[in-house]
This record gives sequence, C-alpha cells and structure tokens, in this order.
Amino acid sequence: MTTKVLFAAFVFSTLNFAAPAPAQTLSYADAVTKLADDCGSDIKKLCRGLNLGSGRIAACLQQNSDRVSPTCKGTIADVFQSITKREHAQTSYEKVCQRDMIKSCGGVEGDGFILNCLIKKKRVSEECSQVLTDAGWR
Amino acid sequence: MRQALSKILFLVAATFLTPAAALSQEVSQERIVEGLGKLTMAAPAIDLEILRQEAIDGRDQPMSALPNWKKIAKLPQMVVEINFENDSVAIDPKSYRTLGLLADALHHPNLWDYKFLVVGHASSTGNEKHNLELSDQRAAAIKEALATTFAVGPKRLYSIGVGEYLPIPGSDNAASSNRRVQLINLGVFQK
Repeated sequence: MTTKVLFAAFVFSTLNFAAPAPAQTLSYADAVTKLADDCGSDIKKLCRGLNLGSGRIAACLQQNSDRVSPTCKGTIADVFQSITKREHAQTSYEKVCQRDMIKSCGGVEGDGFILNCLIKKKRVSEECSQVLTDAGWR
Repeated sequence: MRQALSKILFLVAATFLTPAAALSQEVSQERIVEGLGKLTMAAPAIDLEILRQEAIDGRDQPMSALPNWKKIAKLPQMVVEINFENDSVAIDPKSYRTLGLLADALHHPNLWDYKFLVVGHASSTGNEKHNLELSDQRAAAIKEALATTFAVGPKRLYSIGVGEYLPIPGSDNAASSNRRVQLINLGVFQK
C-alpha cells in the first residue's frame, strides 16, 4: 500500500519534470520495506532476537542462505547494493560536485546550505546531477 | 503495517498540533524533516544520567512537571511507534520502514547538522525495573541501527530509556500507546 503510494508519487514527479529520469537508488525507507516484505518471515524464523544494527541481519541471512527463501535472496542483494550506492553518493558528492559548488553556489556558506543551493540548481554537470540523484536528494 | 502507520501519523499530528487534515496524509520523510527541523531556540545542554534519574524519581509525572525534561519538551520532536519482538531488542520487520523513514530524514540536508535523542518509553504492563531496562536497551538498539545500517553519524545520536515513568499525559499508564519512541532534536552538532 505505502510502497504503491510512494511509487505513484515518484512516477508522477518524474513525469512532471519530463526530462529522462536517471536510475534511482532506493530511499532507506523503501529499501528496508522491501527487505521486511520479502525477508520478514525468514528474519523472524532464522534470525530470532537479532537486530537490524551492525549488519547482524544481513550476516544471519547469509549464514542461513540454504534456508532463505529465493525471493528474499534476490532482495538482499538489491537492497544492500542500493543502500551502499546511496551512501557512497552521499559521501562523495562534495568531490563530484566541487566545480558546480564553486560556480553556482560560491557565495553560500555552511555545507547544509551549499547542498541545498546545489540541489535547487537545474544546471549542474551530469556527474554531479547523478550523484545528487543517487544520494536521494533530488 | 497500515495500522502502525496510521498510529504514527496520529501521534505525529498530535505532537505538532497540526489540523485534522494531516490525518489524511502519509507520514513522509518531508513531514519528519519539517517537524524535526524547526529549532527556533538554543537547545539546552543535556545530561542523560540526570534525565534518567529525574524520570525515575518523577513517578508518572508528565514531562512538563520535571525541570530538565521540561526544557527538552519544547524542542522539535516527534513520536513514532516501533514494534519489537516480545521482551527483546529485535525490531519487528514490520517497523523497519518507520526506522528507514527516520533515517532518510536524518540524512536530509535540513537536519544533518543536528543531533538527536532517542527516548524509549514503556507502558506500565509488567515489572517496572524490567520495563526501565528494556526501554533503555530498545532505545539503544534503535540508535545502533540508525548509526550502522542507516549510516547516521553515531556522534549525532543519544539514547535513553525511561520505562513507564513518563506516560502520555491523560492516558491510561497501561495503554499500549505509551509504548513509544520519541525522537528529539537536541540542537546543532559540533563537529
């Protein structure tokens, strides 16, 4: 239900912009919703008492991979790959967008404000645009 | 899931005193960012031990009656429902999404300069000392999940459990709505 609503919202927003939408990384919320939907019963069965933090669930599902459902197996790879990609984008944007930051947001101070400025700019380099999208900020 | 989300939505709406129209909306990253981001005053310095002791000594008094809690009660905050396995720190997969939404919000540029306090509350069902310990462990588990799986800077996060000592004012202390997690904006994080 929720995922559908969000998906609809996403389709709608990309239609709005008309420009070809680059592939999106999943938000944390959507990534773990997928994990809960596809692996929830495996987690409850195989990883009882374990928590999401510090990679315990991922490790548990891996250790029990012969007993994990096929749907869940496919999902784990997708979900953690997407999360990794997003995290990488969030930590690397300053490097990737360095020129755009100087060019378009030169007078702005403070990294939060600079980023907010950058996100609002329509014209940034392709790499910078992609990294902002991968980071989930636009 | 749907039920949990509608509960969260209700609590969020109640916290921000927004009009009833909010009830028809999905709880979203935007709403969390907006709700947690409106810090208009300097956040007071906090001491977790003092807060814990004050909650224990306060015995069911509302936050507003306790001097140190009163100070942080005015900060931007929200209440969410995160379900755990019975008597365990394992977060129910059905509540992963709520945690994910919080994580997305904490990664938003409008919030990433702030630090946050995760407060775990219990209802009065069960032994009160056990409730205090479990709520503390659960709040710590949420902090840990946010800081590892969801890559929120660990130094931006604090956690404390207050057991059944700070029930929602006017509620039945045993009501399940008192089992809740409060997230409070503690002000600018000094790197």
